[in-house]
Amino acid sequence: MAMFVLTEEGRKYLKKGLPERRLVELLKKVGRITLKEAEKQVENFDIALQWAKKKGLVELKFNELVLVREPESFLEEEALRRVEGGEEIEEEVLKILLQRNLVEKVVKGDVDKLIGKEVTNLTPELIKTGIWKKVKFKPYSTDTPGQKLSFGKPHFYKQFIDEVREKLIGMGFVEVRGPLVELNFWNCDALFLPSDHPSRSIHEVFFLKKPETGKVLDKELWERIRKTHENGWITGSSGWGFWDPELAKRLILRSHGTALSARTLSRLKKEDIPFKMFSIAKCFRPDVIDAKHHIEFEQCEGIVVGEGLNFKHLLWYLKEIASCAGVEKVRFKPSYFPFTEPSVELQGYINGWVELGGAGIFRPEVTLPLGVEVSVLAWGIGLGRLALVRAGLNDIRDLYTDKLEILSKKFLV
Amino acid sequence: MPTIAYDKKDLLKLVGKEFKDEELREIIESIKPSVEKITEKEVVLEHCADRIDLFGIEGLARAIRQYVGLKPRLTKYKVGKSGLTVLADSVPVRPYIGCAVVKGVRLEDSLIKSLMNIQEVLHETVGRKRRKVAIGVHDFDRIKPPIRYVGVSREEKIVPLGHSEEMSLKEVLEKTEKGKEYGAIIQSSRLWPAFVDTISIFSFPPIINSERTRVTEKTKNLFIDVTGTDRLAVIQVLSILVTNLAERGCKLESVRIKYKKKVETTPDLNERVIEVSKDLVNNLLGLSLEGKEMIRLLRKMGYEAIDYKDKLEVIVPSYRLDILHPVDIVEDVAIAYGYNNFELVNPRVESIGKLDELEKFSDRIRSLMVGFGLQEVIRHVFTNQEDQFDKMEIRRSDVIEVANPVSQEYTCLRVWLLPSLIKVLSANKHVEYPQKLFEVGDVVLPAEGETMSKSVRKLCVVISHSTAGFAEIKSVAEKFLASLGIRYSLRMLEHPSFIDGRACQILIKGKEVGYFGEIHPKVLENWNLEMPVIAFEIELENLLS
Repeated sequence: MAMFVLTEEGRKYLKKGLPERRLVELLKKVGRITLKEAEKQVENFDIALQWAKKKGLVELKFNELVLVREPESFLEEEALRRVEGGEEIEEEVLKILLQRNLVEKVVKGDVDKLIGKEVTNLTPELIKTGIWKKVKFKPYSTDTPGQKLSFGKPHFYKQFIDEVREKLIGMGFVEVRGPLVELNFWNCDALFLPSDHPSRSIHEVFFLKKPETGKVLDKELWERIRKTHENGWITGSSGWGFWDPELAKRLILRSHGTALSARTLSRLKKEDIPFKMFSIAKCFRPDVIDAKHHIEFEQCEGIVVGEGLNFKHLLWYLKEIASCAGVEKVRFKPSYFPFTEPSVELQGYINGWVELGGAGIFRPEVTLPLGVEVSVLAWGIGLGRLALVRAGLNDIRDLYTDKLEILSKKFLV
Repeated sequence: MPTIAYDKKDLLKLVGKEFKDEELREIIESIKPSVEKITEKEVVLEHCADRIDLFGIEGLARAIRQYVGLKPRLTKYKVGKSGLTVLADSVPVRPYIGCAVVKGVRLEDSLIKSLMNIQEVLHETVGRKRRKVAIGVHDFDRIKPPIRYVGVSREEKIVPLGHSEEMSLKEVLEKTEKGKEYGAIIQSSRLWPAFVDTISIFSFPPIINSERTRVTEKTKNLFIDVTGTDRLAVIQVLSILVTNLAERGCKLESVRIKYKKKVETTPDLNERVIEVSKDLVNNLLGLSLEGKEMIRLLRKMGYEAIDYKDKLEVIVPSYRLDILHPVDIVEDVAIAYGYNNFELVNPRVESIGKLDELEKFSDRIRSLMVGFGLQEVIRHVFTNQEDQFDKMEIRRSDVIEVANPVSQEYTCLRVWLLPSLIKVLSANKHVEYPQKLFEVGDVVLPAEGETMSKSVRKLCVVISHSTAGFAEIKSVAEKFLASLGIRYSLRMLEHPSFIDGRACQILIKGKEVGYFGEIHPKVLENWNLEMPVIAFEIELENLLS
């Protein structure tokens, strides 16, 4: 069984009157009017004019509209009222209303059978036919299971990284990116790691199989680094007494974010200082893969370059950086890195004291060959473990997890 | 760095004072090493690579003693003359030697243990597994001088330590455990290094000592030989060894080393003098210490110093191998001051923060993809060629491959993201479908230039469910490109990973930047997947410009 309901236009005319009625009202008031003027004053003028002419109510005389006949009533308006009220109307008027797109046909189907019954789903038919007023909706309970849907969600580790980035940007740090395949020269030699340092062995760094070597482009820097290793150059250092240029050309996978700091310092101009940079640097080290170690990990590397920076400033930054990563209680312990002096290990309190990262003031053997004559505060903080703590996980392998169950559960707020 | 266990009782005896475990932990960590644990009997430390002088129990005790103020000053060691001369030829593989005679040793358990420990640790660390420096310790009374250090033929004979029969040096390399382990160091040389007395070879560095000069409980006097490729390292390792023995009350005697063109006397325990400007100390540390205070702090760290106008003349003990530059001494001032006693000061360095452009763009793309209803995943850049090529039914191409992989799973860097995401699908067959994933990540391609490679930032989308098809992924790709306001064109793509006639290439200004389509059932089989998969991958760097 079919029934009819008002369209949006129909509802509008029911409220405001038909357009042709509004035109007639206007002419009753002004007598005659130009088309241009009438168009300004009557909403839906085109429709009004078309129907008023068709019904023989108005005429055009010398480019002006005049009222020919004043109708007693408008059939359609009455019909609209009746349709709205759910009453039936005559076939002929219905035709006009359908033609004018003021009503539409709704296939009621079995909707009216639902009258007085309890229904599960609210359907478009129930709403359009108004039968929703005559049904009862079956109530759900708090135990009703939710539907299984797939949702979009950011990765919790990225969320954590973004939190740290946001805070560092807020502190005035510039974000920097660099290559994952790196020259030993930048990863080690420019950082004054002696050629025979154990951390340069195949047990600590991934070497490329092919090609084995890259190209050091800055020949002058190359010479300065060579001299610094061999005899200290002008840095006031004794140097290491030796340097292996072939090793410096070897390509490796970046083993610490400090490589990027060395690159950045080499490009730094005097007018850039004071300067602060950070990077969320992916690093690689051949390690046993277990709950605490992976061969691929992220370090938050940062440096502050400026005149007169000292150890107290370094410690202040370390406390702030730890706080960026969500650790408020920190302490400091002496440590050793070949490229910084003094060197410091940053420890944070997370259910006990844990190592968060290493830091220090770059040695003159690092800064002077790179062309930097002011102090450089530097640090590198492992983000993996902090992200795990934040996400309530305890296996480092879960950071790159392939388990969708973990990803769909974890969200940092 | 080396983790070393110490006998707690012996350590405290050498220090000369009792400490509670917590106190001891704090003192040691203030000096530098990390305390792994302190038990009833043991103190286990993880050392930093620079303070080699702390590796031995005697050196550690010395540092603790100085730090807590029991003997806060430079320790002087007397060296007598043994009258012994070692004639040293130029031995090609290990040209530098240092020798010492140590008298009056009482080889109780603790000393033997510590002597063995320190040798092993020094070999492993500063000795670079004996390549750079190797140590031999002998019963001096079993040696019949004159002693010569010479290069000998591999047919010469020795009775190696722990063996009863004589064998040639060549056989030592072939048959003994140490020979197999360290033989490679000298293998390529025609002549091999040896210490010879009037009887025979008694030391075959860096491999093994002779059974004849074995150190036993009855040994009263020691002869120590240190050989290596770096003169400074040889001399300093010898310093560490003998000063440790002197800490036990042994008497040190020097040996003359007569090279062809010069004569040296070892051990050389002479201190070095390094000038340190007071301004350097105060500027680097942000302190305003007077010279007197600096000297007090330096003494805590085992130095002596003389206040001279605006400088300090710092006397550095011979066993401190790590002092290369005045800044190294400044660190020790900071350590003596106590790292946790420094005030934290905001330097108020004014600068404007800025996100990296590509990272910022990646962030935007990530949030767009989440809006598309996709779950973000992060996968390793490290992968293997089977996953990258074979299982995707494509031919292997050049990749960045490492020479020393730790597992078959991770041998090279990925050149495209799609296999990483398909692998995730393959690990989640038991999980509810549809599965809709994306990753914004790096791939690394071989290229010309400084690092012979380039990282490329990409986006990849995979969607899997029972009715996943071409039209759906086309819609994702097109909606993505439209959201970015990018003009592009499409071209049908023939690609073995996709079903023929169901993959498209995306071109921007005629340049190929990505593709999408239905994954080939053969690929799905390879990954053990039973649900249709559609995918879309695109380079982001090209879209940013």
